Amino acid sequence: MSILLPYQPADNTAHSLSATTSPSKTNDLPRLSPSPSILHRRSPSSSGNSARRRSLGNGSAALYPKSQRCKSQYPQDSSERHVEYILVASFHIDRGPIMEHQYPAAISGDESMLAELMLPDQTHVRSQDWTIFFLHKDTSTDENDDDSSTGKKKKKKSRAEGVGTGDSDSEDADGSAEEESDDEEEGGEGPPLMYVLNLVNTKQDNTVKRGAVVKAMAICTRHSFLHIYKPLLLLALEDYFKNPYPETLATLYNSLNAMDLSLLPKLSLLERLILQASNSKDIFIEKFEQMIRQRQIEAGEPFDDECPPSPKRAAPPRYTLPRDTHEFESKIVYNDIPIPVKVPTVIWPEIVGDFSLIKLIQIFSAPHSTSPQPFPIHSHLTTSGPFTHPIIILINAMLTQKRVIFLGHNRPSGEVAEAVLAACALASGGILRGFTRHAFPYTDLTKIDDLLRVPGFIAGVTNPTFANHPEWWDVLCDLPTGRIKISSHIEPAPVTEGLLYFQQQASLHHHHMSNANTDPSGDNIFMEEVQRSITNRYGENAIRAKWRAYITKFTRVAAAFEETVYGASNLYVIGPNEELSPESPSGLQADPLDPTTLRGHGYVWPDEGAKQRELLASVSRIEGWRTTRSYYSFIQDIAAMYYPSRPIQKPDLHHHHDRLRALRLPPAEAGAIYISFAHAVKDYAGICQLLTVTPENQAGLFYISMGLFHPHQPVREATVELLDRIAAHPAGRHFWAQLNRFAKLAFFRTKREKDGSPQSPALGMGPESFGPQSLVGVALGDGFRKS
Amino acid sequence: MGGSVSKIMGKIFGTKEMRILMLGLDAAGKTTILYKLKLTNQDVTTIPTVGFNVESVTYKNVKFNVWDVGGQDKIRPLWRHYYSGTQGLIFVVDSSDTARMEEARSELHKIINDREMKDALLLVFANKQDCPGHMSPEDVTQQLQLNKLKDKLWYVAPSVATEGTGIFEGLAWLSNNVKTQPAK
Repeated sequence: MSILLPYQPADNTAHSLSATTSPSKTNDLPRLSPSPSILHRRSPSSSGNSARRRSLGNGSAALYPKSQRCKSQYPQDSSERHVEYILVASFHIDRGPIMEHQYPAAISGDESMLAELMLPDQTHVRSQDWTIFFLHKDTSTDENDDDSSTGKKKKKKSRAEGVGTGDSDSEDADGSAEEESDDEEEGGEGPPLMYVLNLVNTKQDNTVKRGAVVKAMAICTRHSFLHIYKPLLLLALEDYFKNPYPETLATLYNSLNAMDLSLLPKLSLLERLILQASNSKDIFIEKFEQMIRQRQIEAGEPFDDECPPSPKRAAPPRYTLPRDTHEFESKIVYNDIPIPVKVPTVIWPEIVGDFSLIKLIQIFSAPHSTSPQPFPIHSHLTTSGPFTHPIIILINAMLTQKRVIFLGHNRPSGEVAEAVLAACALASGGILRGFTRHAFPYTDLTKIDDLLRVPGFIAGVTNPTFANHPEWWDVLCDLPTGRIKISSHIEPAPVTEGLLYFQQQASLHHHHMSNANTDPSGDNIFMEEVQRSITNRYGENAIRAKWRAYITKFTRVAAAFEETVYGASNLYVIGPNEELSPESPSGLQADPLDPTTLRGHGYVWPDEGAKQRELLASVSRIEGWRTTRSYYSFIQDIAAMYYPSRPIQKPDLHHHHDRLRALRLPPAEAGAIYISFAHAVKDYAGICQLLTVTPENQAGLFYISMGLFHPHQPVREATVELLDRIAAHPAGRHFWAQLNRFAKLAFFRTKREKDGSPQSPALGMGPESFGPQSLVGVALGDGFRKS
Repeated sequence: MGGSVSKIMGKIFGTKEMRILMLGLDAAGKTTILYKLKLTNQDVTTIPTVGFNVESVTYKNVKFNVWDVGGQDKIRPLWRHYYSGTQGLIFVVDSSDTARMEEARSELHKIINDREMKDALLLVFANKQDCPGHMSPEDVTQQLQLNKLKDKLWYVAPSVATEGTGIFEGLAWLSNNVKTQPAK
């Protein structure tokens, strides 16, 4: 049925298997006869779940937070426009690059600088080229506070009157209404960047002087998904060659701004994290349903839900749910041509445009794997010695705020821009900020003096003369050869307190360290893993998730480092009842009456030796990072965003889940964790928070489900309660669906024991499936007990 | 491997490498000269250079890395970024554009007075010798005030870039006068 129709919740409720039927297509387990879903429906909260799906808005399910309105990311009444300016520039044979038209108004600022950016070097040798560049354009008035150098560089005089003043207003209104702050894009770094997507065409034309016309058209937007506008720009520039008048710009401007994204729901930070980490195509579909229903109520249309399914087939629904909730489908009508576009549901800082991490990694991995060349040693960069993987050199360079240049001689400027954007995403992981703001996806010699005023930048160029100026950069990434160079002019890393501390430690434990493995930072293994995933065609999202995890780990290791060296860390907010001292034993319960007061926080190492080795290997780059923009903005983000977004401050879910995963805990300690989680994780947001530390690609709920095999019954029962809540959670149900069948069987068995209900075994668990599986369950349980 | 062999051969047979920068006012014929060097005996039609072109040409055992940089007045300030490491400057003038000869002189003197260009050889192509009303190489020398230059090796070669006339003669002068290995 779901093949014929776009996803309809009404149809769903008409069937008895509501909660697990159509949504969980991603579950690749063979379905265990109808039993799990029937059983599932028996649990009170899950029937609440289906009730919610039927009648939304009357707050039927406790686990569903938003009986209140679901907000749009791009409300219809917002004064913020999708696109703010359209520009056209051309190469004048006497005067060089000039600006021809700007719509709806002059963007102000240095016009000729803009025109130069729009006509990249060597445009004359190719018929078409895409570029991206950023403008540091103010929405309001003042900009010369903390990063005056960048402000000056790009848009010294670019203050448009009235433009964009609206967006700060709407931002405020949204921020106060939403339970979590959603303006992390603003995060103390000044106004959001203006992204410029530019297309340049060179047309040979014998009728004009010197035989060619070179024109470029650009779209200026504050949306980081600017690549969706590419087909429009192609059409419009073609039109402009025929009709070189402002009207052509106006047509494009109006059709772009008419794009309707108002049914794209706004998600909280935790929800966004879950969506990003999930491969389920219908996770949070409820939000999209709710948006549509709200719209229908506003428009006075009847609910879909009340109609029987049959008439729906006759009239196709006006609003359709997305086929994949990771993106929102809309269209832009240009000159009566509807052009479909897909907008990402989740926007992360520093993720701009449609780059490919896979491509970037492959470019710089291939020459390294066939004929590795030694790098000159620099303690911030060559963290695994002279043969450190080039991608690790790159990420170290970005984390320690070096000057990085991507050079693509004879390559389209779009290619270097893409590499710059990918590198920003690599170093940010969507977590750290301050890279795109100092990135110049495409720049040229005309801007070199300004560029050199920026401390730590990342720039894309096509002019090989940059390679002849090692005093301009610290790290040069040559795209055609796939080689990375460390400049002969690079400043040596300063000696710091942390470095001395660890040198002392190292000399004390020298014999201990010397027999350690050759990859103490784990970077070699990590890069091998990444490359294996690429070879096995895991896809861009999987690779991005790996880097996100890498950066998350880096920040957690850095927090542990700061606690070790300085006694406290800026990178971690200590929860209630928690002790600062790194020696405080994890797993102690501070308050005997409150299971959630479980002590311990931060990253988990299997033993103290492993911790010391890893910290020692990372000390230089962590110390290098600790003075950078991305470090300071991360501290701000923790205080303003990450920490407040966590409803559960105690215990540290991430830490204790890591302990379950990484350590072989005695049953009592593991039991304390399960009990503690069951006590702490109760409401919608709490479950979201737990799900963010149990992503699908890291075994999902597996380690939670191990609590079902715990020797003590109270622990098993607590785990059942917890899993019961998760299974009824709109996002949690996907995680539940992916849990292996042994865990599910153990769940039902424990639940049965707990409820003392006798009828359950009849429900589909025939002897043929029940016997062996429960044996395995027992075996698992035994293994667990022994460990 | 192949690269290192040819390097060794280069040492034996004295192949020199020379970084050449080619400048001049817009529409003087720089790009045409570059591609006539690169693609001998082919017709070359060019359009205005946005930014630069760079090509390697081997002639008489000298490998010339020739940089050709756009000449519109607005982008002339960028020329200086190409100076460092340059061993030879090719300055191209349109011999028929008498109205802009003074502009060309001023730009040329700015370049060669730069500290980074003090050791560079100077080759001037008095280009477009086929156009009506063109100046002779001697007139060009006069107009560019080359005789005022002290401590500078220079040479003016007449050329018709579109036909390839005179270009290799100019290059021969460069390869004969390049000093043995200040190459960096």
